[in-house]
Amino acid sequence: MIDLLREIAQTLRNNRLRTVLTGVSVAWGIFILILLLGASRGLINYFNDFASAESSNVISIWGGYTTKPFKGYKEGRQIKLQESDADAISKNVSDRVVKVSRIATIDSASIATSKGKVNSLTAVYPDEQTRIKLKYLKGRFINDRDIAEKRRVIVLSDFAATTLFPTEEKALGATVNSMGVAWTVVGVAKQDWNRQNFIPYSTYKSITGNSKDVEQLNVILKDIDTEGAALSTEKDVVSVLGNEHSFAADDRSAVWTWNRLKNYLEMNAVGIVLEIGVWVLGLLFLLTGLVGVSNIVFVSVRERTHEIGIRRAIGAKPRSILTQVILESVAITGLFGYMGLFLGMFVLQIASTIIPEGSPIVNPTVDISLALKVTIALIVAGALAGLFPALKAIKIKPVEALRDE
Amino acid sequence: MIIKLHDVNKTYPGVVPLHVLKDINLEIRRGEFVSIMGASGSGKSTLLNILGILDSYDTGEYYLDGVLIKDLSENRAAELRNRMIGFVFQSFNLIGYKTALENVALPLYYQGIGRKRRNAMAMEQLERLGLADRAHHLPGELSGGQKQRVAIARAIVTNPSIILADEPTGALDSHTSREVMEVFRQLNRDGMTIVVVTHDPTVGAATDRLIRIVDGEIESGHD
Repeated sequence: MIDLLREIAQTLRNNRLRTVLTGVSVAWGIFILILLLGASRGLINYFNDFASAESSNVISIWGGYTTKPFKGYKEGRQIKLQESDADAISKNVSDRVVKVSRIATIDSASIATSKGKVNSLTAVYPDEQTRIKLKYLKGRFINDRDIAEKRRVIVLSDFAATTLFPTEEKALGATVNSMGVAWTVVGVAKQDWNRQNFIPYSTYKSITGNSKDVEQLNVILKDIDTEGAALSTEKDVVSVLGNEHSFAADDRSAVWTWNRLKNYLEMNAVGIVLEIGVWVLGLLFLLTGLVGVSNIVFVSVRERTHEIGIRRAIGAKPRSILTQVILESVAITGLFGYMGLFLGMFVLQIASTIIPEGSPIVNPTVDISLALKVTIALIVAGALAGLFPALKAIKIKPVEALRDE
Repeated sequence: MIIKLHDVNKTYPGVVPLHVLKDINLEIRRGEFVSIMGASGSGKSTLLNILGILDSYDTGEYYLDGVLIKDLSENRAAELRNRMIGFVFQSFNLIGYKTALENVALPLYYQGIGRKRRNAMAMEQLERLGLADRAHHLPGELSGGQKQRVAIARAIVTNPSIILADEPTGALDSHTSREVMEVFRQLNRDGMTIVVVTHDPTVGAATDRLIRIVDGEIESGHD
């Protein structure tokens, strides 16, 4: 085996120009493939960042208006979600639901200090912190005692903190006014895509008159990884609410839902299609390189007809000629393919450091498992490119090859 | 008998089929130094190719060292060529980018012999032919006589049953030709069977037996 490699190395060395010219076309193909894969990976990373700003396994539900008469009720009836709905969903779809949390968004409410004013309040339970994935948190989030004691505490967004106070640090412990009462700032949180300000759900309820109405339910799902399952779970949840509030299970506007999981899975599917597309495109590029390799190996076999004749005369079996020609092709493809691979990765590394944050390409690098896939692709491709010239090479008859010119 | 041909016929197909070998009967004993002489077009090259298992024949039988050479697969033919026959050609047919040593060792490579051992064996043959100091030269750096001696070293390195030489002096001047024929003579004294194909009477005269081939038929030479 080592001998065979030595033979091949010697042959390639002695045909240096031809080897290099062939190799460059392969290196170029791989280089383009890697750049394309990196760019598409960057785009997918961008989608994923967007998707993971909040955890994806959630169906959010709001009250709506019925459009169908049901059990003696007329259409056009308003459905208001109730505290009890959370328990009903947990109980009836328990196999697929981790928990149901209540949440209220008060867009109209403003938060003010002497320095400025911002809008939007979100009333939450402590577990909201795990769902929304904060980028960072200074101070603390809403906790269980805030809920139990209905404390007037608030967690500001980084945007609100710097609008209402000189710095985020100065905001901690300070007081803001909202909904006619004073709130103590206990934390400043930064999110990727949102600027929410959080207050305890119980405090919000007590200020607004302790109604049992719930503005929004977040149903947290478990172990669901197909679009179909995500959709059918959504249907089951809606039908539970249909029972509770007496509306038709197929009445699409009695409650409004946003199935984040279904969206996430759809986006994943788009990502996979994109990646497949890029592979196909990249491999087509590689194919052009390979046609070049095949062509040049053909020429090389022709040029070496005499040499192959000599080898055959002194006892080379057709198989050993076949192996040698194919391995020569694999060696050229492999060697220069790797050059293209590393050049491509190098360019991507540079690109990932100079692409500004917030552009729709995030971290456009390719990982090591890809290098493995490319290796396999290169070996297979090189062998294929060498196969046809090799089959021609073994058809060479020593008698004809050795005939004196 | 190291070579035994019985009624061997060969016709090249074509619009006008060419009957190049007609009922060839030939016997060569072990240790003989024989030349096959004929004008160009006489069929002597075809006969050499058949003897060298480089070409097939249509009818008849050819035994080489007791083995019937007929309807062989490419692989089997390559194996027999490698082990039983040493070729020496007019144009040397050395591989240009390999050193003398590597050229001589090449047949052993196809026997699967390790690099160290085959280089040692090749070196031994180069020494035998007085070329030890040229072992690491490329063929392009050698004179015609040296190239032909490298080719002869390559032919004998596998210790074959016969050496087949096709116009071995055709590309050499008369002085070098004599030297090469002397090498063959020496090898023959060491017990090697040698068959030289030539159109040159002086080369023929340097061998022990002359077989003339005219228009595809053996004319004389049976002793």
